[in-house]
Amino acid sequence: MLIEVLQMLLILAIAPLVTGLIRKFKAFFQGRQGPSMLQPYRDLAKLFRKDSVVSKDTSWIFMAAPYVCMTAVITAALMVPFFTSTSANFLGDLIVVVYLFGMMRFFLALSGLDAGSSFGGMGSSREMTVSVLVEPTILLSIFTMALITGTTVLGQISESLATSGLDLVRPALFLAFAAFFISTLAENARVPVDNPATHLELTMIHEAMILEHSGKQLALMEWSSMTKLVLYMALMANIFFPWGIAIEISAVAIGIGLLAVLIKIFLFALAIAVIESSMAKMRLFRLPNLLTVSFTLSLLAVVSFYIL
Amino acid sequence: MAMTTAEVVDRLEHETGNALTTVPAGERDRAIEVPLSSFNGMIRSLCAEDEAVISSLHACDDRDSGGSLALYCVLTSRKWNGALILTAPTGGQYPSLTPFIYSANWYEREIQDMFGIRAEGHPDPRPLVLYDTWPEGTYPLRKDFPADTKVPLASSPYPFKVVEGDGVFEVPVGPVHAGVIEPGHFRFSIAGEPILNLEIRLGYLHRGVEKMLEAASPSKALLMCERISGDNGVAHSLAYLQALESDTEVPEAIEYGRCALAELERIHNHLGDIAGLALDTAFSVPAAELYSVKEKMLRLNQRLTGHRLLWGVMKVGGMRDVFTPEAVDEVQRTLMEVGNETDALVQRMLNTPSYMDRAETTGRVGLKVAKDLRLVGPVSRASGVDADIRRDLPYAGYGKLSFRVPVRTEGDVLARMHVKAEEIKESISLIIESIDKMSGSRAPVDVTIPSKGVRVGIVESPRGEVLHALHFRDGRVIRHKVRDASFCNWPGIEQAVLGDIVPDFPLINKSFNLSYSGNDL
Repeated sequence: MLIEVLQMLLILAIAPLVTGLIRKFKAFFQGRQGPSMLQPYRDLAKLFRKDSVVSKDTSWIFMAAPYVCMTAVITAALMVPFFTSTSANFLGDLIVVVYLFGMMRFFLALSGLDAGSSFGGMGSSREMTVSVLVEPTILLSIFTMALITGTTVLGQISESLATSGLDLVRPALFLAFAAFFISTLAENARVPVDNPATHLELTMIHEAMILEHSGKQLALMEWSSMTKLVLYMALMANIFFPWGIAIEISAVAIGIGLLAVLIKIFLFALAIAVIESSMAKMRLFRLPNLLTVSFTLSLLAVVSFYIL
Repeated sequence: MAMTTAEVVDRLEHETGNALTTVPAGERDRAIEVPLSSFNGMIRSLCAEDEAVISSLHACDDRDSGGSLALYCVLTSRKWNGALILTAPTGGQYPSLTPFIYSANWYEREIQDMFGIRAEGHPDPRPLVLYDTWPEGTYPLRKDFPADTKVPLASSPYPFKVVEGDGVFEVPVGPVHAGVIEPGHFRFSIAGEPILNLEIRLGYLHRGVEKMLEAASPSKALLMCERISGDNGVAHSLAYLQALESDTEVPEAIEYGRCALAELERIHNHLGDIAGLALDTAFSVPAAELYSVKEKMLRLNQRLTGHRLLWGVMKVGGMRDVFTPEAVDEVQRTLMEVGNETDALVQRMLNTPSYMDRAETTGRVGLKVAKDLRLVGPVSRASGVDADIRRDLPYAGYGKLSFRVPVRTEGDVLARMHVKAEEIKESISLIIESIDKMSGSRAPVDVTIPSKGVRVGIVESPRGEVLHALHFRDGRVIRHKVRDASFCNWPGIEQAVLGDIVPDFPLINKSFNLSYSGNDL
């Protein structure tokens, strides 16, 4: 159990750094120096010290949402393999993880609606439009990996893929990965689906939902979103390309596992920054096209598993 | 060939069958007094026959010199070599022009707010300029309203248009926004994401500019004009000077120098606009690079004039001699660099499918709408209106400079970007040509202040036609009308967004990039 808790704490700890890293990469591509990679930590520390301003029209859901979101990502962080394939399997399998994120999204959308501001409502409605296609895509692409490895437990998927060399590598893996990657962009409010750097209320999706939060609640919202991004990266790293992950608990294995996952996360952060720097955000009404493509990819992954 | 305004007046006299009283209006323009009963008819027939457009419709309180609350309509046409100003006395009301010429709409509402002169039969007589807390029956531009009056707060909520139906929501945005921008209120009526109606409520930046200008000396007024809309300071001060100096001969070198200054202003404005389009579509790399090109221009301005936005260069009767031989080299070098870099960056945006998908067909304004609302500047030229004051009614040195007026017909965000990108190229060659032609004395001259009558200065600012009208009595300005390009173009946004979706609004708004402070005065 200790190792799971350690993994969870590490994920929570590096989450702001990963966000800072993506911003640093983007600043580099724009020819700017950009703020320090530690800036997200400072932002969070500042928010945690601040008082919250809460609209009198809100219900308990508004106040509960940040804690629900944080709890959801903490629980998920216990279950997602990070540097070892050991994870809190007794809590459940991949379906539980996917629906922990689902719960987070549900409460985010509710709290967006709760304050009754028009931006929150728009954000929630857009988020739900996006997630209708993202959720099945994520399920299907992880299912593909479950089919390949014959288990739905995340840790065991990593383990069997990592230990069997190239035997289990099939076309389905890459199709599923492509689908999962697009969904990661959509789920984490990245370009081309959403713009994490915008101040334009009318175009926001994720930012619009948390517009009414302030102080500690906002800090929790931000932190849970940052952690969610790292969790998605960890899933991409350890479900699709788990090589290097620690199988047994030993100092050397854990050292290698840690290094491997950090390098993979570094590369994913770079990939996200490259995508965000090389294209414009899509029109809202074009998003279903992109998300349908990713859904089709995941469907093809499942089909190709049976055919090929 | 263009008709002179004298010929137009002759024709009008012939048509009406009696002599028209003229008001002094400088050499090029003509101002005539007509009875209120034929005011509308004459404007309508001039608009219909000569394709004239309303460049300004404003009032002036002449009551303390035995006159009345008089209306002034400044008409311009591509067929004329000057502006024709019609004036008519009113007794506090007049038949509205708006049902026949839609572009009179905001002007008439403004006159009603500021002078209390009612346009009878106006389809939408709600307040326009003054804030909701302004008490009824208080008209700040009348002469019996002292400039230092403390106005009591009243409360009359603004009646927005209501759109009703299944699933129709109202989304109020502003006047306080998430970014550092000027205040304005946008009321969307939406069904899902598509916009059914947009109402723009401005006036939050009303500072009483016109009232203050009436009491200002020429040099003080110049200072204030530069600050009406900061990024268009050169255009506003030039428009003011065109009106003030209409009885004065300004040295040729100064005329060219002023053109160069105005074009420098256009370049940094347009660069900022194009960069903003990239930024608002989250296309961050070209945005950052375009902003750095803009910064290059601002730093050039700074080294040249000591001010990044070129303030403080214009003088009454002249300008500071900033285009020294050493400076000219640097200007030319920087402009070449800026031109090349801008070209490359604009090309990169145009070659990116994801950006093109955002810009094409977004925020369309058709030619008919552009003409009916009388849009001005790059916005109108992107919708097929071939009009540019620099060419159609040349001022300063523009009559002797050669340039192209880019016109597109699509009327969407992309067309507005194309027009601005093309105009940057023209501006670069204009600056080089006008600096080249600067010869002879650069010393400011004494200005003969007109003693009576009305003088107008019309200038193509980066946002489009800017107009300053000065009314003189006994060598003093008794009314200073300012009309920014934004005043004409704001209603255009209300039309452009129809049929688009809410998340595209910021992009459409950016492609217009209008001034709030210039509009609110």
